[in-house]
Amino acid sequence: MKKTVKKEALIALIENLMKDHEVVSPVETAGKGVFYRKIDKAKDVYLGPAFAVEPVKKFFLHPSEWICGCNKEEGTASPCPVPADDKKRVIFGVRPCEARGLVLLDKIFAPDDPAGYQDTSYIDNRSRSVIVGLACSVPDRTCFCVSLDGSPVETRGMDAVLFDMGDNFIVEILTEKGKSILGSLPGTIDAGSEKALEAAKEKTKKLVVKTVKAPDSLDASFKSDYWKKVSLSCLSCGVCTYLCPTCHCFDLVEEERKKLRCYDGCAFPDFTLETSGENPRPTKKERYRQRVFHKFDYFKKNFGENLCVGCGRCIRFCPVKIDISEVAAGAPIK
Amino acid sequence: MTGQMNTSNSNIYLPRETEITAIRQETSDIKTFVLKFKDAAYGDAFTYRPGQFVEFSVFGEGEATFCISNSPTRKTIECSAKKMGMVTQAMHELNVGDTVGLRGPYGNGFPVEDLKGKHLLFVSGGIGLAPLRSLINYCLDNRDDYLDITIVNGARTSKDLVYRDEYKVWEKAPGTKVHLTVDCREEDWVCMVGVVPKALEEIKPTCNGSVAIVCGPPIMIRFTIPVLEKMGFCPESIITTLEMKMKCGLGKCGRCNIGNHYICKDGPVFNYAKLKELHYEL
Amino acid sequence: MIEEIRQKAKELLAASKVDMVIGYRRSGDGVSTVPAFIDSAQDVDSLVWDQNCVYNLANYLREFPGKKIGVVAKGCDARAIVVLLQENQLERENLFIIGVECGVTDISEKCAACPRTVSAICDILIKEKGRKSGAPGNEKDAYAAVEALEARRAEERLGLWREEFSRCIRCYACRQVCPMCYCPKCVADQTMPAWFSKATSLEGNFAWNVTRAFHLAGRCVDCGECERACPVGIPLRDLNKKLEKEAKELYKYEAGSSVEAKPLFASYDKDDPKDFIK
Repeated sequence: MKKTVKKEALIALIENLMKDHEVVSPVETAGKGVFYRKIDKAKDVYLGPAFAVEPVKKFFLHPSEWICGCNKEEGTASPCPVPADDKKRVIFGVRPCEARGLVLLDKIFAPDDPAGYQDTSYIDNRSRSVIVGLACSVPDRTCFCVSLDGSPVETRGMDAVLFDMGDNFIVEILTEKGKSILGSLPGTIDAGSEKALEAAKEKTKKLVVKTVKAPDSLDASFKSDYWKKVSLSCLSCGVCTYLCPTCHCFDLVEEERKKLRCYDGCAFPDFTLETSGENPRPTKKERYRQRVFHKFDYFKKNFGENLCVGCGRCIRFCPVKIDISEVAAGAPIK
Repeated sequence: MTGQMNTSNSNIYLPRETEITAIRQETSDIKTFVLKFKDAAYGDAFTYRPGQFVEFSVFGEGEATFCISNSPTRKTIECSAKKMGMVTQAMHELNVGDTVGLRGPYGNGFPVEDLKGKHLLFVSGGIGLAPLRSLINYCLDNRDDYLDITIVNGARTSKDLVYRDEYKVWEKAPGTKVHLTVDCREEDWVCMVGVVPKALEEIKPTCNGSVAIVCGPPIMIRFTIPVLEKMGFCPESIITTLEMKMKCGLGKCGRCNIGNHYICKDGPVFNYAKLKELHYEL
Repeated sequence: MIEEIRQKAKELLAASKVDMVIGYRRSGDGVSTVPAFIDSAQDVDSLVWDQNCVYNLANYLREFPGKKIGVVAKGCDARAIVVLLQENQLERENLFIIGVECGVTDISEKCAACPRTVSAICDILIKEKGRKSGAPGNEKDAYAAVEALEARRAEERLGLWREEFSRCIRCYACRQVCPMCYCPKCVADQTMPAWFSKATSLEGNFAWNVTRAFHLAGRCVDCGECERACPVGIPLRDLNKKLEKEAKELYKYEAGSSVEAKPLFASYDKDDPKDFIK
């Protein structure tokens, strides 16, 4: 169901939603970029073309999160659960690549197999959130979603989506959850707008010029020196993994009588360093290869898809401009 | 479902309160902890396969990964820990009666069904005997299902041998041989001398209808597998259980994979043919 | 300039005077550059030199122990090499420093207030044509931002840094991009004991960023890479600049100016100021 909605009407709706929902949206921070924030003023909502630095992932898989308590009192100890926040949440401005990232994360944290391990914290965050996406209108030159079976105007993982049509938004409601939030918006859509929308979609898709021709399997390149060569400039920081909409590796540590889950990444030497001093991924070669293989080989073997949505963040923010699309495409598989 | 607790609707990272009912000093730096779930009903329902492992919590310190070192056919849950890092050092300070946390069991465990009707060659070094002990006792408790059992167990010195009280019991079991070896000659030592691969070459176990189950320090595995291959064991009939740094035990935290397989979820037990396919380097 | 850089690199590799030359090459986007690791004379022509050569290549030198390395070094990169030599992290005889003069072509945003555009140490200095050697670079006041901060009330400053650090995601790009951050086990990674929280809490973020700044006092050469690498835009350079200013005012010490100088924290003089010790 689609309707044309005035931008002011959407802001008014958000204002109203904030009474009994947690509302999250991209917010412009002067000189620092765009960041998703819990908002307390509807006018702070930013639905412009700039991309958020951190992907929406952080509202589902928090950068650091208490996952259970571990009380230690006078020689006895008992674990206790940390109460979860269960307030209804609406997230505006989620881009197609980020929403698709959530669909991929679901395979890990909310597996279909009932005997699989369901991550209740992730699932709670998913079920209490309504995702109102924002289709892209100005892709960045580092974006390459189209060549990874995605699109700047697709809607997988969204409950509703907004298309910026200049003075208005076209709102498309995709699920019951989306209807519950945006169903009350007044408006209809005429045939002309419908046509204009389709034309705009096609135009935007063509604006994604970067492509990645990742081979179906990287397996044959595993032992190649190529991985040493392409990892030489890697600094072993966490930028690419932390800002990736699909990277999900984490660490578990105990602090303040609680168990903390926090982001971790395959670029850090300590990620796999064992207490004995052995490290199965001793150099940047093995560590960087792991990231590329996880994205373009291992995940595909396990789930049939690449673990990359082509959002371009790891390219935009890599301090030394390593380009995973070039690296994956250039892997010697013959 | 044997060996896997259904965890839906509960926090999968939440450890269960567990009491230490006994502690055995195996060597100067290895202790075995005998454990009992405080929730008796949960404890009764808790089942596992030999070769599976648990995440052991020392509250306030963190978690560490241990295989369950005794057989599911026995009454208790036992874990053996070498004093190494933060958590294991804290474990060595624990006393009988203390409460710790346990979650699991995780991993695939040994293919006890596939091993039926085979000769079994157990090869271990140091604390690598821990997961094999679970399988050895399981096989001895189901003795008719398995053919000859040969155990080759080594340690740096005789003082580093673990589960010493059990060797005599194993030897007395029908169709079972135990070979012990230490790296260097010692006074009063009457068994074999030399590292495990060398001992294997002396023992010359048969490869016909046999499966070798290997666990020990990386260097031992590195030198043992070629010896087994030379003796005629095919990669499919060499089984090992791997150790890598693990955190979640659930195939989610991302650090313990070899290829597209997570050691915690798809392992830790693999045959050598599979490891080669996954580019695992000894 | 680039022809001279390529010429020198070719010469060094062809004569086996070095095993590798670390410089810059064009990235796939056709505009920016990436670090280049060149080990054969025939690949030398991929080297480039322009305003996109922002990286501090000194950061890579410790990764090739025992190898002879030629490195393209701007003024700031060369100062970093000086500090690494002072701290015994590199062997001078294993380095061939191809100093490049910058400043006329403003390298990047991060260079706006850099007054030192000539390599402090080099084996050959490649100069910009038509430029008087040794002339100062930018005249903009290097401490303007620090002084503006100093002029504010303490509570105001605290509020400002709380705001900035609240965005920190603990990706450690600042640490990894820094030639001086080479501790074998960073305080942030230690677990026995864990010195500060791994959580991205304000406390943990404060502890991390402030600890790092203090460890760079008298060592930071102000290459600006940490601030450039920070994905969330924390003005880390202001922190480092403040400590640089303190070292200069209290001890007349400038990091990276001389290999022979004793590192600030490794020297003591009975006349050192004590009035700040309470």
